[in-house]
Amino acid sequence: MDYQWDFSAVVTYWPVLLVGLKNTIILAAVCLVLGLFFGLFVGAARYSSNRLVNWPATAFVEVFRNTPVLVQIMWFYFAFPIISPIEVNAFTAATLGLTLNTVAFSSEIYRAGIQSISKGQWEAAKALGMTYTEQMRRIILPQAIRRMVPAFTNRAVELVKMTSLASVIAYGELMHQAKTISIIAFNPIEMYTSVAIIFFVLIAPLSLLVQRLEMKKRKSS
Amino acid sequence: MGYEWDFSVVFGNFDLLLLGLVNTLKVTGLALFFGIPLGLVLALMRLYGNKALRWPAGFIIEFLRSTPPIAQLFWFFFALPILLGVEIDPFSASVLTFSLQSSAFFAEVFRGGIQSIDNGQWEAAKAIGMTRNATLQRIILPQAVKRMIPAFLERAIELMKTTTLVSTISYSDLLYQANTIAQSSYRTLEVYTTAAAMYFVVILACSLLVGRLEHRLGRSGEITRG
Repeated sequence: MDYQWDFSAVVTYWPVLLVGLKNTIILAAVCLVLGLFFGLFVGAARYSSNRLVNWPATAFVEVFRNTPVLVQIMWFYFAFPIISPIEVNAFTAATLGLTLNTVAFSSEIYRAGIQSISKGQWEAAKALGMTYTEQMRRIILPQAIRRMVPAFTNRAVELVKMTSLASVIAYGELMHQAKTISIIAFNPIEMYTSVAIIFFVLIAPLSLLVQRLEMKKRKSS
Repeated sequence: MGYEWDFSVVFGNFDLLLLGLVNTLKVTGLALFFGIPLGLVLALMRLYGNKALRWPAGFIIEFLRSTPPIAQLFWFFFALPILLGVEIDPFSASVLTFSLQSSAFFAEVFRGGIQSIDNGQWEAAKAIGMTRNATLQRIILPQAVKRMIPAFLERAIELMKTTTLVSTISYSDLLYQANTIAQSSYRTLEVYTTAAAMYFVVILACSLLVGRLEHRLGRSGEITRG
C-alpha cells in the first residue's frame, strides 16, 4: 500500500474533465426533458381503454423496461444505423437509448400517479361539464404531478448515473474523458477516484432531495 | 429499407450467446450471494450501530448509490490492482463491484423493511425478556424479510441489467459475446437484436414472476418497496 498518490494530472487536465462534465449534464438534461414529455403521452396511452392505443404502448414500455439500458444504447449505435435513414452519431444513439428508457419508466410513474387520484375527482370534473382533456389538464394532472415528484427526482438520479454508459460508445462525457486522460497520463487511480467523487458531488444532493421528498410525502399521507 | 435480414450468423453462434447468458447469470448470482448479507450488515450498522459504525455505513451506502456503477467497476478493475499491487481479473472485479454496489441497495431495502415493523413488536418482545439481538433475529427480521421479498427481486432484476457493464472490461457476458460476434460478422443488426431479445425474455420472465408474487403477498399482508 505504498502507492504515491499524485493528483497533478487531474489538475492539468481539469479543462478536459470540465468538457466531460458539461456533456454529462447536457445529455442528462436533454434525455430528462424529452423522456418526461413523451412519457406523459405513453402513460396516457397505457391508461386508454382503446386496445389499438393501449397495446403498442404497453409493448413499448415492457421492451424498454425489461432490457438493459447498455444494450439499448449499443443497439442504437451499432444496429440502428443500418436501417435508419439518418446518420447516428454517439450523441444521437445515447440520447435515443436513454430517452426511450426514461419514457418507459416515467410513463409508469404517470400511470401510477394518475391512478392514485380518486374517481370522485373525475366525476366531479365531469359533472361541471369538462371534457376529458380538460379534466386531465385542470383537475387530475395538477394533483397527480405533486405526488409524482419524488419518483421523478429518483429517475433524474438514475438518469445522471446512466449517462456514464455513453462512454462505451465514445461520447465525450465525464467517464469517457477520464478514461482518455488516464491512458495519456498513466494515472487510473487518481483519475477514476476523481471521477467517482465528481459524480458523487453531482448526484448526492439529488438523492438527499429524494429522501426528503419521500419523508415529507409519508408524513402528509 | 432494402435491408436483407440474415440471422444465419446468430444461429451459427448461438452456443456462444448462451454461454454469455450463463456468465451473466453467474455474475448476477454471485453478486446476490455476497451482496445480500453485506447489505444486512450495512443496514444493521446504520440502524443500531453507535456513531463510529453508523456514519461510515451511511457514507458507504450513499457513496455506492450516488456513483455510476461503471465508475465503480473501472475503479476496481483499473485502479485497485495498482493500489494493492495484485492482479484482478475481469471476473473478480465484476463480482467485487456488483456485490458492493448491490449491497448498498439491499441495505436500504433491509432498512425500509425493518423500520416498517410496528414498534409494538419490539415492546412485546422486550416484555417477555428478549434481548435486542434475539428480538431482531426471532421477531423483527422474519416479519420484515417477508415484506421485502418483492423489493429484493426487483433489485435482483436491476442487478442483472447492470451486469451488462462487465462487457466493458471484457468479461464474456451476453453483451460481450454479442459484441464479439457482431464485430467479426458485420451483422450488427441481427446480433444486437437477438441479444436484446434474449435479455428481454429472461428479464420479462423474472418481472412477471415478481409481479405475481407481489400480488400474492399483497393480498396476505402489506409489503414494502425498496
